Amino acid sequence: MFPRPIQQYSPAARIGYQALLPFALLVWLIPLLAVMWFSVKSGDDFTQGNYWGWPEGGLEGVTNYWMVFAESDMPRYLWNSVVITVPTMIGAVALSCMTGFALGVYRFKGNLLIFFMFVAGNFVPFQILMVPVRDLTDQMGLYDTRMGLILFHIAFQTGFCTLFMRNFIRALPRELIEAARVEGVSEYRIFWYVVLPLMRPAIAALCVLIFTFIWNDFFWAVVLTQSPESQPVTAGITAFNAQFRAMYHLMSAGSIVAAIPPVAMFFLMQKHFIAGLTLGAVK
Amino acid sequence: MRSIFKTSAAALAAATMLSGAAYADGHGVSGPLRIFSDMSNPAPRAVMEGMVERFTEANPGVEVELVITDREAWKTQIRNVLQSGTADIVNWYAGNRMAPYVEAGLFMDISDLWEEGGLTETLASTQGSMTMDDGIWGVPYTYYQWGVYYREDIFAELGLEAPTTWEEELSNCQAIVDSGRSCYTIGTQFLWTAGGWFDYLNMRTNGYDFHMELTAGEVPWTDDRVRATFENWQTLIDMGAFIDDHQSYSWQEALPFMVNGEATAYLMGNFAVAPLREAGLSDDQLGFYQFPQIDASIEPGEDAPTDTFHIAANAENVEAAEAFLLFVASAENQTLINNGDNLGQLPVNSEAGVDDDEFLNAGFDMLSNNAGGGIAQFFDRDAPAEMAQVAMQGFQQFMVDPSTLDQVLQILEGARQRIY
Repeated sequence: MFPRPIQQYSPAARIGYQALLPFALLVWLIPLLAVMWFSVKSGDDFTQGNYWGWPEGGLEGVTNYWMVFAESDMPRYLWNSVVITVPTMIGAVALSCMTGFALGVYRFKGNLLIFFMFVAGNFVPFQILMVPVRDLTDQMGLYDTRMGLILFHIAFQTGFCTLFMRNFIRALPRELIEAARVEGVSEYRIFWYVVLPLMRPAIAALCVLIFTFIWNDFFWAVVLTQSPESQPVTAGITAFNAQFRAMYHLMSAGSIVAAIPPVAMFFLMQKHFIAGLTLGAVK
Repeated sequence: MRSIFKTSAAALAAATMLSGAAYADGHGVSGPLRIFSDMSNPAPRAVMEGMVERFTEANPGVEVELVITDREAWKTQIRNVLQSGTADIVNWYAGNRMAPYVEAGLFMDISDLWEEGGLTETLASTQGSMTMDDGIWGVPYTYYQWGVYYREDIFAELGLEAPTTWEEELSNCQAIVDSGRSCYTIGTQFLWTAGGWFDYLNMRTNGYDFHMELTAGEVPWTDDRVRATFENWQTLIDMGAFIDDHQSYSWQEALPFMVNGEATAYLMGNFAVAPLREAGLSDDQLGFYQFPQIDASIEPGEDAPTDTFHIAANAENVEAAEAFLLFVASAENQTLINNGDNLGQLPVNSEAGVDDDEFLNAGFDMLSNNAGGGIAQFFDRDAPAEMAQVAMQGFQQFMVDPSTLDQVLQILEGARQRIY
């Protein structure tokens, strides 16, 4: 059920809404604003207990962000994130296009069973998988490599993507596929020339979703990698902590930098993102 | 005549240096040497890489393969690495932390190296904490002192002197509380800071040996001597010596109280000095004193967490590994890696030089000359990890509500019987 539009409420309720909305928004955004504010303060402010006030030594934004970019491993972590996220996105989406096609178009024994297996993967909490997956990657010699993370992410994300793609393909008009069959087009060509072009909106939406999922992943990054050679940026931010001290200002600046790609992705691809959230759901 | 004397003295010095260097060369050692290090933070990492570089320059025949692992992750990996035989040398810690690996036969006994290399003299202050089951199991490369960092200016304003006895300590603290301040800042959110307080109170009340027996699980926590320690602690708590709500702060978040003068002292490791200075406290405002005596008949024990290198029992290139350990332990190397541009801590080698820094000098002097009781490694290193966790939670609870002492001690005693 959709809520009643605000315009239909009484004037008093509308004014109350307009007055409370900015306040609620502020409360909602405080953690984010705090990180932004901390990222332009100097480390001394934290030792002086000056968390919210104007920094005594002036704003240090330039210094902090320069430290992050030029004098830390941050560029390397960002690059690792790219190297992990993009192949995962391509791999998971490509695989799920194929599985979605197979499960959505063909009727065969066990179709539903296989489909449920894909879906069931989504219901396994990854805390349960933590130890076995870590051991598996270790035994395969993939522990602490980007490849290990990529393979795991592809395997895990394909389940969700398959659900998404299969439902999307189910909703396509079957007549298109049957017409092509009547014309004698081979199944491979049907997939490539008929179904795939129709799936573009789903592919775009899924790419955006998977990109943000994987970029923001922290759990597996910590479980499966640990050196600057392979860690993505979400896990690498903690490298700003010295042995004894947490560098709040640098961590904040690093977090902002790390958050830019998914946020940019969201604003550039907003249409697909929202489509992605609802596509699978409204079926 | 004088110049001749000078030259010959120089020649003699050069000759001793050469022979020293020859020993460090390990008689021309060679071959691959695999070092697993946990010096993963930027400054320690640079130090480790620098040591390898200088060692290979002096020993061109050795090809060092250096693997640096995240410091926290290393704590779970060291056993695998030692058992699989992939390392010749590993980083670890002194004291009881060595026990699991010594008992499992994974570290090599290097007592002979200590004898031959003269380490029994130069590293004497930590020989005790490197010794276990009549063997010596590694060499230390750095440590740092713990003690009370205090606001000299506020003490002067109130007409107080740094205390040396418990009576002075209590009267000081009363004066500070009366002036509307707290005596001590502390942030116990992550528990270990409370462990520091327990270490000192227990070592001063009952002595270093008792403290070691307790952390080794040989004494019940319900022992009256343990209660005596907690009584002293409670005296301070009841006076209002500690800041309020300390359980919500990390150790860093407790610094502002000292910087802003709301609290006058901090029992902490020497790493607290850098942020305090950066926050604007000058060396005139900041002072250091050794934790005061409680029982005059007890030699002071000190916390000085010591980081170490060890040779794996199944090392393939023992000769090169020994040469590397001698190189690490040398006064020259320890002076360099511990100076302000590098680790900024204390060298263990008594012939090493210390940066001209008020607090490093005070610490070096205290640990070399006035730690007759012995050098402890800090509560969470001396006690097994599981026991430390339970115990430090208990310390925090006690600090928040001293009336729960009986309950806390019961929990700790239960944990002791289960864990050891």
